[in-house]
Amino acid sequence: MLQTVAAAEPYVPPKSRKDAVRKAMFYALMLLVALIFFTPFIWTFITAFKTLPDSVNVTSLPHPWTTSAWHRVWADSDFPTYIKNSLFLAAVIVVCNIFLAGLGGYAFARLRFPGRNLLFVLVLGTLMVPEQLRLIPIFVMMVNWGLYGHFESYILINLVTATNLFFMRQYFLTIPKDFEEAAKLDGASHFKIFWRVMLPLALPAMSALVILQFQGTWNDFFWPLILFGQGVSSHYTIQLGLQQFYGQYQSDVPAVMVGSILAILPVLVIFLAFQRYFVSGVVSSGVKG
Amino acid sequence: MMASTSATEAVPSRPGFRSTMLGARLREAGWGYGFVLAPIGVFGLFFIYPFIYAIYISFYHWGILGKQGSAHGTFNYSNVLHDPIFHTALRNIAEYTFAVVPLELALGLSLALLINQKIRGRNFFRSSFYFPSIASSVAITTIALYIFNAQGLFNQIIGSNRAWFADASTVGWSIVGLNTWTTSGTVMIFYLAALQSIPDDVYEAAAVDATSAWRTFWRITFPLLKPAHFFCIVVFGIGALKLFDQAFIVANGASGAPNYATMVPIIYIYNEAFGNSDFGVAAAAGVIYFVIIFALTIVMRLTVGRQEPA
Repeated sequence: MLQTVAAAEPYVPPKSRKDAVRKAMFYALMLLVALIFFTPFIWTFITAFKTLPDSVNVTSLPHPWTTSAWHRVWADSDFPTYIKNSLFLAAVIVVCNIFLAGLGGYAFARLRFPGRNLLFVLVLGTLMVPEQLRLIPIFVMMVNWGLYGHFESYILINLVTATNLFFMRQYFLTIPKDFEEAAKLDGASHFKIFWRVMLPLALPAMSALVILQFQGTWNDFFWPLILFGQGVSSHYTIQLGLQQFYGQYQSDVPAVMVGSILAILPVLVIFLAFQRYFVSGVVSSGVKG
Repeated sequence: MMASTSATEAVPSRPGFRSTMLGARLREAGWGYGFVLAPIGVFGLFFIYPFIYAIYISFYHWGILGKQGSAHGTFNYSNVLHDPIFHTALRNIAEYTFAVVPLELALGLSLALLINQKIRGRNFFRSSFYFPSIASSVAITTIALYIFNAQGLFNQIIGSNRAWFADASTVGWSIVGLNTWTTSGTVMIFYLAALQSIPDDVYEAAAVDATSAWRTFWRITFPLLKPAHFFCIVVFGIGALKLFDQAFIVANGASGAPNYATMVPIIYIYNEAFGNSDFGVAAAAGVIYFVIIFALTIVMRLTVGRQEPA
C-alpha cells in the first residue's frame, strides 16, 4: 500500500500543470463569490460619498466625492442619539447578562439544592416561548407598570437569557473542581468562590458572551419597535432609528447609506477583531432568525 | 497559610461531624437558591408568566386600554381562523419557508465545500461569506431596497426597470434571495463543523478508487452529512417561520404592502395589536401560530430528526 503511493510519486510533475490551472480557476471562483458578497457593502460605501443626483442616476463613482451626507446625518438627524441609546442599552444588558448568567450558570453547574434539575428544565423551557407570543402580554405589562417607552422596559426583559445562562453553565462544567476545593478549604463562601475563583476562570466564555450579546442587542429591531416604536423617538435605538429614518427620508439615498453604515460598523469592527468567538458562539448556541 | 486558616476556623465550631455536614449542605442549598433567584425571577416574569397571560388575553375583548367588558370565550380564535388575511399570511410564510430553506442549505453547503479545501486565505473567505449573517438585518434590508429599486444597481446591470421589492409578484422572491444571501453564512458554519468531523480515511478510500470529485461528493460526503442536513432543516426552517424584520422594512410597516405579499403571521400579529388595537385577536393569533410551530417541530423531530445516528 505504502509502496504503491511511493511508486506514484514520479507521475506528479505532469499532473501539476493541470492542477495549477485548476487551482487558478478555483481561486477565481472564490474571489468572484467573495466579490458578489462584498458588492452591496462596497456600493453602500461609495454611495455614502455621493451627491443626491449622483445616487439617483446610479453613477459608478461619485463625482465629486462629498461628505455632505455624513454631515447631514451627524448634525441634522438624531442618529447620534440612536447610537448613544444603543450603546447604553448594550452596555447595561451585557453587564447584567454576564453577572446573572454567571451566577445562575455556576449554581446549576456546581451547587446542589433540591429542585435544581426541575428549575433547569424550566430555564431551557423558556427557549420554547416564541417572541410573537410574548409580544402582546409584555407590551400590556409594561403599559400597566408605567414602563412603556422607558429604557427600563427593554432592560428588564433582557436582563438574562436562557441561552447565555446555558452557555455559562456548560463552561463552568468544564472547569476542574480542584480550584474550588482549595478555596473551600480556605473557608471561602460560595459567593466568594464564584466571584474570585470561578468568574475569572470563565473569562473566555465571558468574552464570547460579551461579543455575542453586544451584537444581539445592537442588531435588535423587534423589541425596540414594540417598546419604543409608537412614537417614543427619544428612545429609538440605532436599528429602529434607521428604519424610521428610511421611512421618512428614503429619497435621500446617500444619507440612508450613511445610516446603514453606522448601523453595521460597530459589529463589523468587533467581528474583525474577535472572529473566532462568533464562529464558536454560533455553533454552540444558535442562530439569528 | 491555607492550612492554618482552615484549622483556626474549624476549631471553635465543632459540635459534631454530622451536623457540620448538614450545615454545609444547607448553606450550599441556600446559596444555590440565592444564585438562581434573579435569573429564575426574570424567566418567570418575562417568559412563563407572559405565556400564560397571552392565553388569558386571547379569551377577552382586549383593546389599547385593557380588558373591555366581561365577555369571554373563543371568539378571538374564530375571528383569526376565519380571517382571509390570516390565511394569506399562512400561505405566504409556507411558500417562503419552502423556497428559502433549500436555497439557504444549498448555498451554505456550497460555501462550506469551497472553504473546506486546503486554500490560502481560508479565514478571509470564511469571514467574507459569514459577515452578512451577523450584520444588522435592518441595514442589509435597507441596502437591498436601494440596490433593487427601479433605477438601482441591479437593474442597471441586467437592463430592467422592475422595482423588485415594490412589486407584489416579485417581492416574495426578493426577500427569499435576500435572506438566502444573509443566512447562508450561518448555514456554512454548521456544515463546516460537520465536514471537519468526517474522517480523512473515507476520502482516501475514494481517492484510491479514483472516484471523481463529483461522485465522491454525492456518494460519500452528502450522505455522511445527513445529521447536519436534518439539523439545518429544523433550525433554519423554524427560523424562516419567524420572518418579521425584512417583511416589516420592505413594506415600511405592517400593512403587508404591496397587496398583502409581505403579510406573514408575525406581521399579522403586530398589525392586529398596533394597527387595529385588537390585542385579543393578536394574542389569539400568537397562540395559534405557536401551536402550529410547536406541532411542526414535534413532527420534524419525530420524522427527519429521528434518523439521526445517536
